Amino acid sequence: MEQKKLNLSGFFQKYTMVIALVVVVAFFAIQTGGKTLFPGNINNLINQNGYVFVLAAGMLLCILTGGNIDLSVGSVVCFAAAVGAVLMKSGTNMWIAVFAMLAIGLAVGTFQGFWIAKLHVPAFIATLSGMYAFRGLSNVVLGGYMVPITDEGFLQLFGGGAKCYVPDFIRTMLGIEATKPNITCLTFGILAVVIYVLMTLRKIHIQKKLNIHQSIVGTVITTALISAVIIWLTFKLASHKGLPTVLIWICLVLGIYQYITTKTAMGRHLYAVGGNEKATALSGVKTRNVYWFAYASIGLMAGLAGILTAARAKGIDPTYGEGYEMDAIASCFIGGASAYGGTGKVSGMIIGAVLMGVINQGMGIMGVDSNYQKVVKGIVLLVAVIFDVLSKRQKR
Amino acid sequence: MDKKVLVSTLKKNAMLVVLVLVYIFFMILTGGGIFKPSSFAALINQNAYVYILGCGMLMCMLTGGNIDLSCGAFVCLLGAFGGVMMVIQGWGTGVSILLVLLIGIAYGCGLGALVAYVRVPPWIATLAGYLAFRGLGTAILRENSSTGSIGPFPQDFLDIFSGKIFKTAEGELNLPCLIVGIVAAALVVLLVFRTRAVRLKKGYEADSMGAAAAKSGIGAAAILLVMIKLAFSGGIPTVLLWVAGIVLLYSFITSKTTIGRHFYVVGGNIEAARLSGVNTKKIMFLAYLNMAILTSISAMTVMARFTSANANAGKNFEMDAISACVVGGVSASGGAGSVLGMVIGATLIGVINLGMSQISLDANYQRVVKGFVLLAAVVFDILSKKKQK
Repeated sequence: MEQKKLNLSGFFQKYTMVIALVVVVAFFAIQTGGKTLFPGNINNLINQNGYVFVLAAGMLLCILTGGNIDLSVGSVVCFAAAVGAVLMKSGTNMWIAVFAMLAIGLAVGTFQGFWIAKLHVPAFIATLSGMYAFRGLSNVVLGGYMVPITDEGFLQLFGGGAKCYVPDFIRTMLGIEATKPNITCLTFGILAVVIYVLMTLRKIHIQKKLNIHQSIVGTVITTALISAVIIWLTFKLASHKGLPTVLIWICLVLGIYQYITTKTAMGRHLYAVGGNEKATALSGVKTRNVYWFAYASIGLMAGLAGILTAARAKGIDPTYGEGYEMDAIASCFIGGASAYGGTGKVSGMIIGAVLMGVINQGMGIMGVDSNYQKVVKGIVLLVAVIFDVLSKRQKR
Repeated sequence: MDKKVLVSTLKKNAMLVVLVLVYIFFMILTGGGIFKPSSFAALINQNAYVYILGCGMLMCMLTGGNIDLSCGAFVCLLGAFGGVMMVIQGWGTGVSILLVLLIGIAYGCGLGALVAYVRVPPWIATLAGYLAFRGLGTAILRENSSTGSIGPFPQDFLDIFSGKIFKTAEGELNLPCLIVGIVAAALVVLLVFRTRAVRLKKGYEADSMGAAAAKSGIGAAAILLVMIKLAFSGGIPTVLLWVAGIVLLYSFITSKTTIGRHFYVVGGNIEAARLSGVNTKKIMFLAYLNMAILTSISAMTVMARFTSANANAGKNFEMDAISACVVGGVSASGGAGSVLGMVIGATLIGVINLGMSQISLDANYQRVVKGFVLLAAVVFDILSKKKQK
């Protein structure tokens, strides 16, 4: 009995943020009479927050290296998108523009990473200077005005305009007449669950082989819950317009970052550097390269986020991207990344980003004044973290 | 030998050298415009908040690279409160100032308790304020005024935080200002030599006679230059008294008091500090309480400078204060840094801003230049220190 009780409180401590998310979702669902759970709104939630997931994934790596952050991402998003938009306006092929945007992001990240990694310039200063410089340059490139993007292919591929959904090709193949639900979307959802379950089974198998004792019941419950969420989400999206193209990009980025942080040597090095840089260096890790990797990666993500932002807004304005860095940082911290580095997970970051997104959207639907929205956002951030800090302290 | 000493001195004071070089650069570009008395007055008025917030930020950063992101937004919120109190409600200036300070202290206590005792990372605790305060401030301003800005503040309030003391016409020599300058310069010379004498007496290593003379000479000359220029621009700006008072106070606290040493010790190694009997939680608490109080003072200087409260007040102040510290050699991981360094950093950034606006560089390019100069300054500093080792 005692054992079970301990496990239960351990469960609550481990999943405080998940519980907070469920409570917040339930709160807004009740307050808006279920409006926040409408398929259209779920769809908007994903479309509106695409950039947060992408940037937060990059930011997580920087934070892991010791609480370092990148303040420049908001400006780099704007700059990369501005160059892309101007290129497309002058009739350049969209793929060249996309390549240019990603290349700019990567180049900026590498440049800033150079100073941080090789010369130990404080990350704060190196990226603060980027924040100023690239905001200014975006203005110069755009000439102070909004530059529209009309390339339909670009918009559709990166989540802008009315047709930014994966076409229902399976329905066309099967030759079914009815328009809903979106079969492609459902197929992808079920496929995702199957892959997820298979991966979990493999993990259990390996753990057994290596004699690692993990509670099977816990794993089964977690897997079942996550599968249920995926299935629920797919049904919602399928009954709307289908799979938003942004979701594909988000999943791709999150998948890659999950892989990097959990399965690669570089991923372990990021944690090690954040835990104790000197010890890591003495163990033979080239810590400089770890920093460089982290900043190059967030630069690339800023380029991608620029593409998504430009597509969603069907153009780019010199003020776009302002405050994006804070969204990304907040998502990581709410998701349990340590401000001193060394701890933090992609899964936690996802919860953090979703939580921020749900709060933003819920308040928007409730019609809360945008100024008070910011107040609530601040308070939620604080309460979430206090909750997290206190529950972790009890564990000790 | 002499050359070696010179080179190592220059390297030690790399940021000061950069400041002088940047200043000369802009002097040439502006055709001496940045050397005019009015430019000196502008430099002080426009950057007063950086010096004041910089002192607070320095104390936070000393404790381990912790920062306060909320100060800019808090300036905006306090402005809204001040506007409602003094302009809408018509409360007395004294009462309002007291209330603004009390609000600052209340926030500081709350924030300090969260950071020190609940152990919420300062980053997040203040990020919450960053998000919430500007929203709240803007909402208050919108509800009380159709234009979203409240003003003008009463004259007696403005007199305390802005304007000039013993004001004379521009271009005329302001005698009180000059006298203060001469006295301050004399004090600097006296102080440097007294410190040297005390150190020699106690048998510590001390500056050579020449170094002391150079140090006091440069300090006194800088003060005299600024004060003579100000004397011709109508007198001492009131805000300079606030800045000078605060800078001197924090300079004293960080270098001469036990509590000041504790800030460095906590930043150097918090565990060692705790084991040596330093109340580390109290130090963290004080750092953030102190930051909030200085933010309130800085909020009032900003309110007075613009004679009204608006939603954009305090935007990016946190970045300015942090950059002043980091450019001034304050370690981003805590334990090292000085008020003098921060002052040099803040002045450098101020000179760059002023110089660029005087050559009427396009605002967009200004940001680009500011970004790169910031980076270049820090890289220069790091490289010069690296070779020294």
